Amino acid sequence: MTDLRRVFEPNHSATSSAMRVVVVIQIALAIAVWFLSPFQVLPTPPEVFAALGKLWMEQGLGQELITSFLLNLEALAWTVLLSLGLCYFTVMPFFRPIANAVARGRFLGLIGLTFVFTLMVGGGHRLKVALLVFGMTVFFVTSMAAEIAGIPKSKFDHARTLRMSEWRVVWEVVILGTADKAIEVFRQNAAIGWMMLTMVEGISRAEGGIGAMLLNQNKHFHLAEVFAIQIVILLVGLGQDFAIGRFKRIVCPYAELTLERR
Amino acid sequence: MPNVYEVRDHVLRVNNVSLKLGGNQILRDLSFEIRDLHREDKTTGQIVGLLGPSGIGKTQLFRILAGLNKPDSGEVLIGSPGAVVERGMVGVVAQHYPLFEHRTVWSNLVVAGQGSSRPAEESEKRAHELLSRFQLLNRKDFYPAQLSGGQRQRVAIAQQIMCSEQFLLMDEPFSGLDVVALDSVQELISEVSHAHTLNTTIVVSHDIAAVCEIADLVILLGRDVDGAGNPLPGARVMKTFDLAAMGLAWRRGVHLEPAFVSVVEDIRDRFRML
Repeated sequence: MTDLRRVFEPNHSATSSAMRVVVVIQIALAIAVWFLSPFQVLPTPPEVFAALGKLWMEQGLGQELITSFLLNLEALAWTVLLSLGLCYFTVMPFFRPIANAVARGRFLGLIGLTFVFTLMVGGGHRLKVALLVFGMTVFFVTSMAAEIAGIPKSKFDHARTLRMSEWRVVWEVVILGTADKAIEVFRQNAAIGWMMLTMVEGISRAEGGIGAMLLNQNKHFHLAEVFAIQIVILLVGLGQDFAIGRFKRIVCPYAELTLERR
Repeated sequence: MPNVYEVRDHVLRVNNVSLKLGGNQILRDLSFEIRDLHREDKTTGQIVGLLGPSGIGKTQLFRILAGLNKPDSGEVLIGSPGAVVERGMVGVVAQHYPLFEHRTVWSNLVVAGQGSSRPAEESEKRAHELLSRFQLLNRKDFYPAQLSGGQRQRVAIAQQIMCSEQFLLMDEPFSGLDVVALDSVQELISEVSHAHTLNTTIVVSHDIAAVCEIADLVILLGRDVDGAGNPLPGARVMKTFDLAAMGLAWRRGVHLEPAFVSVVEDIRDRFRML
């Protein structure tokens, strides 16, 4: 009980059992709000779960999910390669304006750019990958370039006093020293991919995918199906987030040692 | 009680070092030298205190001594006959004891060993020796974030010794320490410095008494004044206190002696006037 009372005190770490109770209560409240919603047009939880079963058994939701997952994964791989490469290259002044320009791309919408990308890579699958990569890269570069620019001079000097060459300093301080931050940025941007999926898969529906399915259901105002698909996307996203978090803990066990909230 | 010792070759010379930053003269024709002191009965390294009020330019001099910055004019020569200092020739233990947070204690030492000319096997042996000497063997698999302040300081010193064995620059090693911790850091600096006759530790500090207790030479930085008493820009060496020659070096309990107290007071008085 004392533990539970402490969840309302500022800057306190709650025990894992207290946090479990809190989460269960919050989920129960959310479901209760949903059941008791005054908006009659919203589907009830049983309707959503019934729609989910139908989509899964009859309309190939699982297959569409795999298609989208693989598309997102491919786009993520390209994003990591391009973004991290560009960010690490900002150790050379020549690349800093380029990284800055890419980061400013986050203010742009995809309208108009779709045409440019179609000219550059053709349509279909490659266009979808290119759009996702663009959407994620602008945010990835913004966050990661800021992390690198924020490394204090003392860290570089420390490495230099150990007779390291400037490239070795880059490896030790910029690449290895920010590995935990890079994984965290990756984790945040992997979610952006799922958010953009509906729009991207809507542009080229030939391959299908969960985004295309969502748009089709929405077009016919099948709200129970729409909610069911959104729940699936949310669950996959949470799973992905959890997996990346675990990966970070394994690869960078030092990253959370000084945090109050682990 | 006079110390019996012999003054041998130069281990470090600072010749007419000047530095301007943003149009401000920070250091002006600053010169001093450190020589190898030899005692028949004891292995004796050198411990030099570099004192000066805040904002005098100690940090800039520190960076020049470490080879991290070049002066506008003048030079820092290491050893005899003297090689111009390059980064990595002098170990640097900065105030907050930077370490590679993503590496364990062991890995921090091994990676520092890669900067020396030793073969990898020898480096690992040396790392093991240092961990044992600094009582850190049971912390070898810890990350820096898991160490206490004292342990972190020892690892930072060990890391620099892995790379630059004979010269060590320490920035404010006594800052924020209680009496017990202060004793232990003084002991550690003495132990590291007197492990070899050519070992030389330069301690930059505000703690006059703590520095004087372990140093054999104290260099006081300050600014000259013009005829009207206004300070002239650019730090210079105002005075050196040769504690070895004064018989106030290499002795435990020296801080209780009137001569020592008088030197510390003299430095304090000069500090107030700077």
